[in-house]
Amino acid sequence: MIDREQAATPVSRREFVGVAALSAAWLAAGAGCKRMGDASHEQTALVHFSPAQAAQVEAIVARIIPSDDTPGAREAGVIHFIDQSLTGFAKDQAPLFAEGLATLGEAVAKKHGSAATFASLTAEQQDAMLRDIEKTPFFGAVRFATIAGFLALPKYGGNKDYIGWKFIGQEVAMEHSAPFGWYDRPENQMALLGRVL
Amino acid sequence: MQMPMGRYTLDAKGPTYPTDTPVDFVIIGSGIAGGSVARELTREGFSVVLLEQGRKVAPADMEHDELGAFMWPRWTNDPAVSPQTYRKTSADKPEQRNFANYARAVGGTTLHFTGNFWRFRPIDFNEKTMRGGVPGAALEDWPITYEELEPYYTAVEYAVGVSGEVGNDPREPFRSKPFPLPPLAVHGPGVILEIGARKLGWASKAAPMAILSREYKGRQPCHNCGFCLAFPCEWGAKSGANWTMVPEALASGKCELRSDSYVRKIQTDDAGRVTGVVYFNAQKQEVVQQAKAVVLCANGAETPRLLLNSKSNRFPDGLANSSGMVGKHLMTNGNVVSTAEFEHEVAAHKGPVVTRITQEHYELPKELNLIGGGGFDVRMSVPGLIWTLGMPETGPMWGSGFKQRMRPWFNNSVEALGHTTQLPQATNTVELDPELKDAWGVPAMRITFKEHEHDLRLFQFFKERGRELLTAAGATAVHSNDIPDTPGSAVHLLGTARMGNDPQTSVVDKYHRAHDVKNLFIVDGSSFVTSGRGQPTMTIQALAFRAADHMAEFARKGEI
Repeated sequence: MIDREQAATPVSRREFVGVAALSAAWLAAGAGCKRMGDASHEQTALVHFSPAQAAQVEAIVARIIPSDDTPGAREAGVIHFIDQSLTGFAKDQAPLFAEGLATLGEAVAKKHGSAATFASLTAEQQDAMLRDIEKTPFFGAVRFATIAGFLALPKYGGNKDYIGWKFIGQEVAMEHSAPFGWYDRPENQMALLGRVL
Repeated sequence: MQMPMGRYTLDAKGPTYPTDTPVDFVIIGSGIAGGSVARELTREGFSVVLLEQGRKVAPADMEHDELGAFMWPRWTNDPAVSPQTYRKTSADKPEQRNFANYARAVGGTTLHFTGNFWRFRPIDFNEKTMRGGVPGAALEDWPITYEELEPYYTAVEYAVGVSGEVGNDPREPFRSKPFPLPPLAVHGPGVILEIGARKLGWASKAAPMAILSREYKGRQPCHNCGFCLAFPCEWGAKSGANWTMVPEALASGKCELRSDSYVRKIQTDDAGRVTGVVYFNAQKQEVVQQAKAVVLCANGAETPRLLLNSKSNRFPDGLANSSGMVGKHLMTNGNVVSTAEFEHEVAAHKGPVVTRITQEHYELPKELNLIGGGGFDVRMSVPGLIWTLGMPETGPMWGSGFKQRMRPWFNNSVEALGHTTQLPQATNTVELDPELKDAWGVPAMRITFKEHEHDLRLFQFFKERGRELLTAAGATAVHSNDIPDTPGSAVHLLGTARMGNDPQTSVVDKYHRAHDVKNLFIVDGSSFVTSGRGQPTMTIQALAFRAADHMAEFARKGEI
């Protein structure tokens, strides 16, 4: 496992780029979601990753559930879900993440030059890098954590303001009233079954 | 968002019994069996200490937290403190992993069950006689019949408020009373089941559910939140023992509930009678509670483990185990899943998980050469997070393409779940692991389990029928996996202290009294002789009502 200092010290420039990318992400999230409490994102401190590592992880999760005309993993704060989980319930995965990030960083440097980081690549370049590792345990863990961070309760650090639930259509409510979907509508039941159940 | 609404009645102040004076009954386990026995015995005026190894889960703790419910044990057995080992056959090396999954909380696994409340049918009690044996399976008839259990099924339905309807299937067995509550309102998945069943000419009906469709005994009806399976019901509409049996036992003023009380041994004297139990309290201090009789209701995995851990000079092979049958014949039921996508929005995550079922294949034609059978419901078992993780690999699994699949996958898909028979085999066992101990220093369980070849053929039959049902209902895509030769994990834990008339081949008699120990009763899924068709809870509860009836009678006559 690479500890935080080892990862951060030799790559101060990368770290700088990373922080910049992360800040840009926060700003983007805030701009896109005015009513979702834009300030809180910036106040969420990292507890496990270095800023440089966080920038890379956030860039990866943003390719797994991208932001387009709807919010993605970035806006949902998936990075904080992962960051917090690696000091908590997913502590045993910390080495996997550290090694996976280091390996990915090396692959990026090899292909795009030593100044490049995953976060600094274009979306197309990022996707190409991820396709190369999509069968690895590291990518599997990041994908799993991205979905979990998008859809777990906000108290775990992601799914900010229930962005993930809203995206898939899971209503935030303690109770629901029928009709819920197409099949619940009496006219559709009449057409299909000749009666309303 | 989290607003607990149900009335919380587990904190009712009960009596405090001294530990050094025998109470009438100590009951081990506060699930549907132990809770029901406690309710029934206290109604008859007996003093009861109800011991539960887990904690009380209050409504404020009943969050809609998928990660907490599925990814680590919030109220289920925690491998970090209650580890198990598993191996497929006795030739395999055991690995440490939880095969048996159960709630470790007041209310037991009914705290977070789905609430399917199917009765057994007559064939479930005498299948061997009716259909013959199967090589390699330890198929036996039960020592009781459907007719003997029927009054208790009815009593249970009225005690907890079961919602349902008498179907139009002439193969359904006799029932002495209609359901106390009308069916739950049908919603999307149930409509899909109905469309498919209608096309195929299969019988279908409203599912019998232990979820209230109307207010009942001061409890509110279902609010359609959609978080049933794996979640406690904060409204109190799902009739787990935590909302029904245990509070009613406490209300009697005769029951003392001690949660966080983990029994490690049932004590016996030189005469071979049970004298009480030794348990760890929340501070891990040992407490001995004296009892005139003990009722063991710890579930089909913990019950045999405790019996095996209660060995003594007089019972060197474990308590109540002169037959050698304790821990043998573990059954888990078959669960055969196919998922399907539909053109229209189902919104299956709203409303109770199950509203309609088909039991068209409860018994199968002789020419199929398959005994047993089962039924189907159509549902979304679990909400967004787990459902999304289960997306089939028929398209992009990350990136824009994946994101585009997420919403329709969540809103337009369901699964057909086949619930089936599984045969008893002497080689499927719960034993003590020779090395592994839990956090209290008590020997852990070692489970050995592999499906019978007949089970695999039955599951394959149900897989095909499930696909047929979904296709007939208009699915645009149907997905299913190969049937594995081990379920990997199990929540229905049955058969490990089987009931029978012969002390050589069974652990308890038809009244749930241990053949070997006059004042020890064992009532839970472990009593099952066969697995039934996939929904055991209603039968566990009916057995518990019946057993308690007989225990009270024996006690009154001085026959314990």
